[in-house]
Amino acid sequence: MTSTDFNTILPEFILAVFAMAALLGAVYTGKDRTGPLLMWLTAGLFLLLAAWIGLGGGVEHVAFGGMFNDDGFARFAKVAILLSAAAVLIISKDYMVRRDMLRFEFPILIALSVLGMMIMVSSGDLMALYMGLELQSLALYVVASMRRDSARSSEAGLKYFVLGSLSSGLLLYGASLIYGFAGTTNFAGILSTVEDGLPLGVLFGMVFMIAGLAFKISAVPFHMWTPDVYEGSPTPVTAFFATAPKIAAMALLARLMHDAFGNVTGDWGQVIALLAVLSMFLGGIAAIGQRDIKRLMAYSSIAHMGFALIGLASGTAFGVQAMLVYMAIYVAMNIGTFAFILSMERGGQPVTSIDSLHMLSKTAPLQAMALLVLLFSLAGVPPMVGFFGKLYVLQAAVNADMTWLAVAGVVASVIGAFYYLRIVFYMYFGSEGEGVDGRIGSVQGAALLISALVMVAGIVNLFGVEALAQAAAETLVR
Amino acid sequence: MSLALIAALPFLGALLPGLLIRSGRTACAMVTGSVTALALLGILLHAPAVLRGEVIQTRIEWLPALGLNANFFLDGLGLLFTGLILGIGLLIILYARFYLSSKDPMGQFYSYLMLFQGAMVGIVLSDNILLLLIFWELTSLSSFLLIGYWKHLPEGRQGARMALAVTGAGGLAMIGGMLILGNIVGSYDLTVILTQKEAIQASEWYLPALILILLGCFTKSAQFPFHFWLPHAMAAPTPVSAYLHSATMVKAGLFLMARMWPVLAGTPEWFYLVATAGLITMVLGAVIGVFKDDLKALLAFSTVSHLGLITMLLGFGTKAAATVAVFHILNHATFKAALFMSAGIVDHEAHTRDIKRLGGLRKLMPVTFAIVCIAALSMAGIPPLNGFLSKELMLTEAVETPWAGNAWILPALATIGALFSVAYSFRLIAHVFLGPVRDDYPHKPHDPGFGMWAAPAFLALLVVLIGLMPMTFAGDLVRATASAVIGEPAYVNIYHWHGFVPALFLSLLAVGGGLVVLGLHPRLEAGWNAVPRPEAKAIFDGLVEPFARLSRRVTDWLHDGRIAGYFAIATVAIVAAGYYAWSSTTAGVVTRDLTPIAPVAAVGWLLLMGCTGALFFIHRSRLVTLVVLGVVGLMVSVGFAYLSAPDLALTQISVEVATIILLLLALNFLPKADAEKITAGRGFRDLVVAGAAGLGAGALVYALMMRDFFFPTISDFHLANSYIGGGGTNVVNVILVDFRGYDTFGEIIVLGIAGLLIYALAEALLRGGPANDRLLSWVPDQKRAGDRHPLMLVIATRVMLPVALLVAVFIFLRGHNMPGGGFISGLVAAIALVMQYMASGYGWTAARQRVDYHAMIGWGVTIAALCGVGSWLAGRPFLTSAFGYVHPPVIEKFEIATAAIFDLGVFLTVVGAVMLALASLSRFAVRAGETVNTAPFDIRPDQSPASVAKEGH
Repeated sequence: MTSTDFNTILPEFILAVFAMAALLGAVYTGKDRTGPLLMWLTAGLFLLLAAWIGLGGGVEHVAFGGMFNDDGFARFAKVAILLSAAAVLIISKDYMVRRDMLRFEFPILIALSVLGMMIMVSSGDLMALYMGLELQSLALYVVASMRRDSARSSEAGLKYFVLGSLSSGLLLYGASLIYGFAGTTNFAGILSTVEDGLPLGVLFGMVFMIAGLAFKISAVPFHMWTPDVYEGSPTPVTAFFATAPKIAAMALLARLMHDAFGNVTGDWGQVIALLAVLSMFLGGIAAIGQRDIKRLMAYSSIAHMGFALIGLASGTAFGVQAMLVYMAIYVAMNIGTFAFILSMERGGQPVTSIDSLHMLSKTAPLQAMALLVLLFSLAGVPPMVGFFGKLYVLQAAVNADMTWLAVAGVVASVIGAFYYLRIVFYMYFGSEGEGVDGRIGSVQGAALLISALVMVAGIVNLFGVEALAQAAAETLVR
Repeated sequence: MSLALIAALPFLGALLPGLLIRSGRTACAMVTGSVTALALLGILLHAPAVLRGEVIQTRIEWLPALGLNANFFLDGLGLLFTGLILGIGLLIILYARFYLSSKDPMGQFYSYLMLFQGAMVGIVLSDNILLLLIFWELTSLSSFLLIGYWKHLPEGRQGARMALAVTGAGGLAMIGGMLILGNIVGSYDLTVILTQKEAIQASEWYLPALILILLGCFTKSAQFPFHFWLPHAMAAPTPVSAYLHSATMVKAGLFLMARMWPVLAGTPEWFYLVATAGLITMVLGAVIGVFKDDLKALLAFSTVSHLGLITMLLGFGTKAAATVAVFHILNHATFKAALFMSAGIVDHEAHTRDIKRLGGLRKLMPVTFAIVCIAALSMAGIPPLNGFLSKELMLTEAVETPWAGNAWILPALATIGALFSVAYSFRLIAHVFLGPVRDDYPHKPHDPGFGMWAAPAFLALLVVLIGLMPMTFAGDLVRATASAVIGEPAYVNIYHWHGFVPALFLSLLAVGGGLVVLGLHPRLEAGWNAVPRPEAKAIFDGLVEPFARLSRRVTDWLHDGRIAGYFAIATVAIVAAGYYAWSSTTAGVVTRDLTPIAPVAAVGWLLLMGCTGALFFIHRSRLVTLVVLGVVGLMVSVGFAYLSAPDLALTQISVEVATIILLLLALNFLPKADAEKITAGRGFRDLVVAGAAGLGAGALVYALMMRDFFFPTISDFHLANSYIGGGGTNVVNVILVDFRGYDTFGEIIVLGIAGLLIYALAEALLRGGPANDRLLSWVPDQKRAGDRHPLMLVIATRVMLPVALLVAVFIFLRGHNMPGGGFISGLVAAIALVMQYMASGYGWTAARQRVDYHAMIGWGVTIAALCGVGSWLAGRPFLTSAFGYVHPPVIEKFEIATAAIFDLGVFLTVVGAVMLALASLSRFAVRAGETVNTAPFDIRPDQSPASVAKEGH
């Protein structure tokens, strides 16, 4: 390990040391009593690292003989991951403390999974890819079943673990096939061997790896775990599932496809496009029947991943840019929405039924208005920022001569709009009934309002995200 | 004034009412009105230039990467619409000031209204179709807020939801059409797109784009089959209905069709889609309107009907028809807005809009009566009012246009539409205002103050003026607008008397027929009510319900919570992915021959297959499953041995034994719930899925193995270097302890952690809590065997122990050069120890066990680490091995390799981890009420059972 290698992974190194030090420190001191402090420390560290990586800029570094890339694409994804993870920790603290479910391991596990995600998005080698992915997944398996005394939480964790293992196995099988036929695990090396078409083994390997990664981004038909896990996990965990890991897995997929198979976009574009179409439609149609808002958000995220995949399927730099913009917007919307879901309670007990939102506009007009903005944005209705994300990916498809995909996306967004608007309808024209009655916490309220404001104010220039995403996409697709 | 500023003004104005409402309602209305007036002034300043045929443009970069720019342009069409939006907007602001009661939050109302106004102005000024889309959907959003303004009215709910769902969805569909259009042309600027008629109509994507765009237009303008939402949205306050649902928002669809007319119109697709939808809407709306008793519902359906009329004219695709359409847009806006506001006045004064409860208002509300008379007569098409002019022209166009080769359909149906239009217009006058004064109005009506009737009166004045002198008051505007629509200078000459042309006769027929319908109204109404009709709500629910049902079916089918089902889906998807990969490439030629199949191998293969297949049928019985799994493992081990990999075979078989024993222990504690009964169908399905996956994987491996590898195998390197570099002839062991020593070091750490983890989990479980409670209340579901520690087994294991340990030492020592090594010997030793626990019981064995397994793991890892660090002392990288030979006296030459020390670490860790796991699991049994034995046997062989029993008492 040279000093360049070390400097390149310094943020990851710091995070790893922090996680282990925090674990030891908490075990030997106050255990769960240190939970709130650790939440803030972890969130603070995330923000610091995000600022460091984001503002640092500088040149590209390749460390460990090509295993680890520190380029614009990785930095964009890392900043998004760190910021969203920090936001989820901040909005969750209050909820977890009040329900006495804040274990000190929670922020540490989140830190470890974020570490895994940072390795994922930087990976330049099948080994690094797998290492990051498993570090992330293992931490997530545990947090999903964090409420060990709740049968549903345990079930969620177990299902996620069992299906996740299947996907990991598939991914490994694919990776070993690729290694066997390309003779290298390095992305750049794979890229140079597949110039004149894909040999049988590499093609199988690639398809299996796509399938394995599709599981992580919950793309149909590898999405089955999503509704159960979203519903069964504690809400802060669901909020986390819906944000940072999605960016990481999507970025990893983009990196693998472009870094290792960037010269055969035709071979995988169709596969990704198929995943996109299935995800958009199944996510949209299945969400219509849901009565539980966490389950609804699960299907919503499936559909959103389908839209983001459109960008990737187009196989162009603009497509990657569109995907990144879409993911950034998606995460910003979800943080606000989950901040609200975390605050939903009746008689002190958390509720997640959509029916409890009836006539929210009367009891809490400001919240209802903010949620209305977010839901419109999730539905992709102009002029909310969510529309621009959709516009980006649809344009990417159209520009790449995949107009059919864009048309499918439009039809799916019409279906998808229905269930978001239904919530809006309940809030404004619902029937009188047992609604939510808790007061929203100040942090959650602030997150909700900021997120809603971002959805409106962002239309000016999307806060410059598109330029950053463009720069990031250009480092990936050359 | 810059167009961008004009478009921005209403949005800025939306902020003011909220701030100013504290200084009074009139001030609030005045400020709102003056912002609108300012915007109108800005437009009017451009009007002379636009009427001369110039096009005013403003360009601002926004998100250029998306092709989205804040470009605005103003031509004749834009001028007409901005004039309507801002002009009628001004009147509505005035009207609403007096219409809203003091309880209504007026500031909020004006804010939403201005938001809506801004969105509408944005639509008609946009020079960028993406920008247009944004404003388009913004109207849906702001109209939702406006319709929902009166939250307390229950009938508003369904209307608001339908309006939002239908128009919002249509707008989203339009995104697709716009993107396709932009892709064909290569620009999203309207001024560019409008010049590319040939390219667009020649494109294969013309029809999809047309359909998607028309979906947006038809939903917004309430065209058949999306006409149902508009009448239901009428629960909104009347100023909103007048503004949104007659003058502006519903015209946005017409606007877009007119805007896109130069590039989309003129094809058969356009004609049949647009003209037909418009025709049906016109007739349907007019017929339904006649039978509505709610004043606003009647007006709503008449709006639907007139929108259909305009759509039909645009659909004809001829320049003359487009000109007439433009003229009728103007006329309809004037008389319909006046009628809506008058209906609002009636509602406001009489406290009801039910025609059945009204009548005779002529004397009580003379001013309102006059306004309604003028506007309604214009709507009926009575000369000399402006409605007459455009209806005559419409009939003329209809007469001249054949539909599918039939010259009669269009004029006939258009006349029927006009006939019913006459009927409901007259009904409005006759049933509300004429007749005797009643004494049972909910509230005694009288004319409102000037403020309230000023706006409709002004519009009524326009109706008369345009009607009397069309060329003076509307000629230039219509010409400029029509020129913009058809894309070339239009010829406009509107006059009253065309001679005895067919249109005149049709018009007379319509008026006469309309009067007849009005006369027969009570009888027709009875018939109408007797006929079952689709209700809008039912239609909407009918559209939504299948989706909801589909959704439920999909989720029930896919997400029933059964993990087996999830696996099935994932497996099917993977097999499909594999099939895709297989079918999209060629495998290349077969370069290897099949090796001959020896009978022994065939037997082993059959056993393997048989046992694997048997799992499918017996997997519900755990013990039998374990037995079968054991056979599978054994066959794999034998396979390794058969294929000359004795080391692997040894490892495999010891791992098999250890895991089967641990599984046996662990399964003991799982609840034995009754196995879920699966149906034969599902069983068959599972069999097919599993079979496809297995055969697919097998086929893939077969295909790969029948071809030469791309690279020389790595074995050659190891065979060549194992003795030179690692000092061992057993390549596997050299790889483990030397070449890949780093990996092994990591693996033993993982193994050690796994052992510790099982221990920690057991500790946590035993400490108390719900899981511990369950454990304590656990009752074995099978009868315990009386003889838990069989004599034979005890004796055998006892005798075997030293032998087994010796074998372990032997395997350890020979490992470097012959099959064996630390890992295998560790497993052998562990199995020997495990057997003691099994045979003689936990208590007896634990009492004799003096080694702490934790420490054993610790020492193992430490020794391995120290061995690695040792190479640093020699100045070599971590874990570099060295070896040499010694010649001690008495025995022969002996090899000493540092790798052996490392192997010792491996040995200790393996034994420690396996034993710790076992000991932890055994503690559950103790906790669950199992007695801890101190004697090796349950039955003492030296005494009879009876005396043992007696001793026990």
